[in-house]
Amino acid sequence: MKQVVKYLITAATGLSLAAGVAFSASAQDATSLDDLLRLVQENRAAAQRIDQERERRFMDERADRQALLEEARQQLADEEARGERLQETFAQNEVDIANKETELDNMVGTLGEIFGVIRGAASDTIGRISTSVVSAEYPGRADVLESLAEAQELPNIAELEELWLALLTEMRESGRVSRFQGEVTLLEGGRETREIVRVGAFNLISNGEYLLYNEDTNQIQPLGRQPAGHVLRAARDFENAESGYQGVFVDPSRGAILSLLTQKSTLAEHYHQGSTVGYAITVVFAIGMLIALYKLITLTMTGGSIRSQLKNPENPGNNPLGRILKVYHDNKQADVETLELKLDEAILRETPKIESGVSIIKILAAISPLMGLLGTVIGMIGTFQSITLFGTGDPRIMAGDISMALVTTALGLIAALPLIVVHSIVSGRAKSIVQVLDEQASGIVASHAEKGE
Amino acid sequence: MQLYLMGLWETVRDFIATGGDVLYLVFIALLIMWIVLVERYWYLLGVFPKDRKRIIEQWEARKDTTSWYAHKIREAWVSEVSVKLNSRMLLLKTMIAVCPMIGLLGTVTGMIAVFEIMAVQGTGNPRLMASGISMATIPTMAGMVAALSGMIFVTRLDARIRRERDKLLDSLPHH
Repeated sequence: MKQVVKYLITAATGLSLAAGVAFSASAQDATSLDDLLRLVQENRAAAQRIDQERERRFMDERADRQALLEEARQQLADEEARGERLQETFAQNEVDIANKETELDNMVGTLGEIFGVIRGAASDTIGRISTSVVSAEYPGRADVLESLAEAQELPNIAELEELWLALLTEMRESGRVSRFQGEVTLLEGGRETREIVRVGAFNLISNGEYLLYNEDTNQIQPLGRQPAGHVLRAARDFENAESGYQGVFVDPSRGAILSLLTQKSTLAEHYHQGSTVGYAITVVFAIGMLIALYKLITLTMTGGSIRSQLKNPENPGNNPLGRILKVYHDNKQADVETLELKLDEAILRETPKIESGVSIIKILAAISPLMGLLGTVIGMIGTFQSITLFGTGDPRIMAGDISMALVTTALGLIAALPLIVVHSIVSGRAKSIVQVLDEQASGIVASHAEKGE
Repeated sequence: MQLYLMGLWETVRDFIATGGDVLYLVFIALLIMWIVLVERYWYLLGVFPKDRKRIIEQWEARKDTTSWYAHKIREAWVSEVSVKLNSRMLLLKTMIAVCPMIGLLGTVTGMIAVFEIMAVQGTGNPRLMASGISMATIPTMAGMVAALSGMIFVTRLDARIRRERDKLLDSLPHH
């Protein structure tokens, strides 16, 4: 609304100004109507002239513009044509580029493959060489190959030959047994230069023991725990052999099996896994063996004295048979019935002393496996407790208690076996002595009496 | 021949290596058992008939065979022979009883080996555990076989000894 009002005011002002001019002109020159007419006509003619002039100028300009337009159109057409041409070229170039790229790929393709193979082979060889015990004898072989494996550009002939040589050396050395002087890092600290025998790419032997090659530190170390005796003996014989053939134990895993060996626990460690129950079984075993030893000594002595007594029935000595014979000598005048009663009494007095302790050995032999069983049960309780706490996820947590369970069983059996054997020996001796006293004493007395008559 | 023996020895050592050191114990028990067994048969078949003949002759030579003295002397003679007959029979029977127990010991030590491998390596590698299991089973089998090999002979020997003793008693009549 406001705008409308504004337009109206502007229009009104315009009109009033025009009227003003007209009126002022008439007021100036219009002295008469004729003048006015003439004036008007003159003005009209002048205006017409101006108009014509303007029209002509416009027409002229129009022609110019037309020409410009034509020119511009021509230019557009030209440019469009050029654009099309360029586009065509572009498309053509695209195709060309694609073709060239495929061509390049084709050309590079085999060469790149070869390069990749070389790099792969080089890094493989590094892996093999650096872990190989051959490197203990020839250190620093992997350095040359490392540049080859990490290089970005194409390798040259010299480097390729280096790889070839490295592979050939490894191949040749893995089939040879060689002796060399090497620095051994001892387990208790310090170093020592020793003569080392290398068996192919598998083992290092020195001073009759197996050595390990640590590829991280490039050190030769003795194995923490050496394998069994006959294996080491074969190794020593092999080391000392001057010629001919000699057998040796080789670790085909290049040290892995030997280093696993160090994780095996020793006999003493096994024994201590039995803990309290194991020690208790040891005590039972020791007591049993001591009793058995005592009984063996006393029974042997008694047996000996009885045997010497058998040869000399006249002079009863201080031994079981002697004491029985003494009863006979004291009761020579008694009748047969009384004598037999007296003899039986004397025999009955002697037998418990001989048989004492034998049954204890038997009881101990029976107890020790039972104690082993007790250890098993205690171990299993521990196992189930750790299962309650940690679940069954890791068998290593349970392993400690299970080994206790098994070790005590084994200890129980180990204690029981010698005790049983010893008991059978002791009780055999005791039985034979008792038999001599029981069944033969009266006979000895009888034959002696017959001789005396 | 030497090569064959070497091969045989290697086989035995391989067997012992898979079965574990407990097999040595089984072997010792078996050796003792068979030495004693052979010795017993040798006594029974070689030495005992002479003893029996001597005793029977001595008995026949006696004038008095009915008195208390004669009775006791006969008893003593028979007892003497029976001690000789029965000596080491207890050891023999113990060895037979001990052999399966040694086998059981082998089972337990083998299981210890299995659990040791489990503690070090975990349960991932059944091949490693198999070595322990063979250590557990082979001694058991060896112990059983050892016990069985002696059992028949020992039982027969025992019966034979009892029979011989009774026969000796019968051939010493009171007359």
